[in-house]
Amino acid sequence: MMEKASYNKEAIIELINLKKSFGNNHVLNDLNLTVKQGENVVFIGKSGSGKSVLIKCIIGLIKPDSGIISVFGNDVSKLSHDDLDQMRAKVGFLFQSNALYDSMTIRENLEFPLRRHWLKGTKDTINDLVLDALTNVGLADTIDMKPSELSGGMKKRVALARTLILKPEIILYDEPTSGLDPVTGKEISNLIVEIQKKYNTSSIIISHDLSCAKITSNKIVILIDGTCYATGTFEELNNMSDTKVKQFFD
Amino acid sequence: MKSIALKYFIYETAGIYLFAVRFFKELFKPRFEFNEFLKQCYTVGNTSITLVSVTALIMGLVITIQSQPAMETFGTESWLPSVVSISLVRELVPVITALTCAGKIGSSIGAELGSMKVTEQIDSMEVSGTNPFKYLVVTRVLATTLMLPLLIILGDTISLYGAYIGVNINQNVSFHLFTNQVFAKLDFSDVLPSVIKGLFFGFTIGIISCYKGYHTKNGTEGVGKSANSSVVVSIFAVFMIDLIAAQVANIFHIL
Repeated sequence: MMEKASYNKEAIIELINLKKSFGNNHVLNDLNLTVKQGENVVFIGKSGSGKSVLIKCIIGLIKPDSGIISVFGNDVSKLSHDDLDQMRAKVGFLFQSNALYDSMTIRENLEFPLRRHWLKGTKDTINDLVLDALTNVGLADTIDMKPSELSGGMKKRVALARTLILKPEIILYDEPTSGLDPVTGKEISNLIVEIQKKYNTSSIIISHDLSCAKITSNKIVILIDGTCYATGTFEELNNMSDTKVKQFFD
Repeated sequence: MKSIALKYFIYETAGIYLFAVRFFKELFKPRFEFNEFLKQCYTVGNTSITLVSVTALIMGLVITIQSQPAMETFGTESWLPSVVSISLVRELVPVITALTCAGKIGSSIGAELGSMKVTEQIDSMEVSGTNPFKYLVVTRVLATTLMLPLLIILGDTISLYGAYIGVNINQNVSFHLFTNQVFAKLDFSDVLPSVIKGLFFGFTIGIISCYKGYHTKNGTEGVGKSANSSVVVSIFAVFMIDLIAAQVANIFHIL
């Protein structure tokens, strides 16, 4: 709707006429979107508006009813299992609940995706990568702890470290600041921006947190009735007179 | 109301059947999760040893003590070791061990997979390039299938020792005489069927518990329900298998 004219980068994710329903509940309804290289796109919408469904469709956890999801130029719904695994190695996913494996230590949590996607690594190399990823989020000293010993903010950071360990080109964040206090939420938001700058990642961020959206976004998409109702920068949307858009910023 | 319950029963039975079919399909696909399988064998086997041993010892003791007066009445107390050992090995130990494991292992698997499901850990595994069905379900079902017969053999041995203690409460029978009397009637064809039953019990407990945990819904409330129904359905299935085994035994005169 009001996309910045300055964007002139390669499209890395493209959603075309995406539809997904659960019974009579039409969650995604002809949704179209393009995410370009190095771009952070924040999705804002009411609870149950299909934001989490959207990113789960992108990573191939949920199959859309119709439409095209193109990631790195490949249609996700047509990828074979092996191709989907290869694609997933380049896409990080930060779950809303962090999804750290309770039965494993932090080290084992971080080693898990490495051993799955990158089996040739020696023990020392894997150890260095784990330490490096934890150092990036400032939690190197938690390496031998269990997730249950960490606070909510620390778990989020560890989950972020696990997401980053495969050096993904795209990161999908499902409400990265939910359940965190404003200070920790801001730290996580700043970390997302740092990661984008450091690794030149493209991200889709699902959030209810306007301060997170303001800090992290290059572009904000407002999702209403399963479609992209409005698109623009934080300032552009904040200045819009449309009542449906205004309700998110008031 | 009855039709809803019937529909639910049919739906769940079909679900468990399809889950079992998927297990066999995934079992032969490459990348076997050997480390996780060993870990599950340890969890299922080693952590159940104490419970199974104590249960078996008490069972051997109690059955012997309760059978002794009746056999004395008929003047057949010299048969006590062989009669009790056959009852224990062929029927009581396999079923009681399976019920004990259904409670301990079934609830544990149901709750663990259930909480992994509601906290998106299973989705996370899939995103990490792991087939969660192979990693979580195949390893656990194989572990329960292989460990239960071993636990049954251990239970058989300990229950016989319990029976020896039971016999010696009122009589003075040497261990040598007791074992001679036991193995005069008890042979390999009594042990093998209980081991075969153990394989089926273990598989059933594993499949049902994994199915319940893997399909958990409605957050933490659902985890509790999954753990509970894993135990209830597993126990019901153990009795059903035992009934079928008894019928098969009648037909073939072997089990």
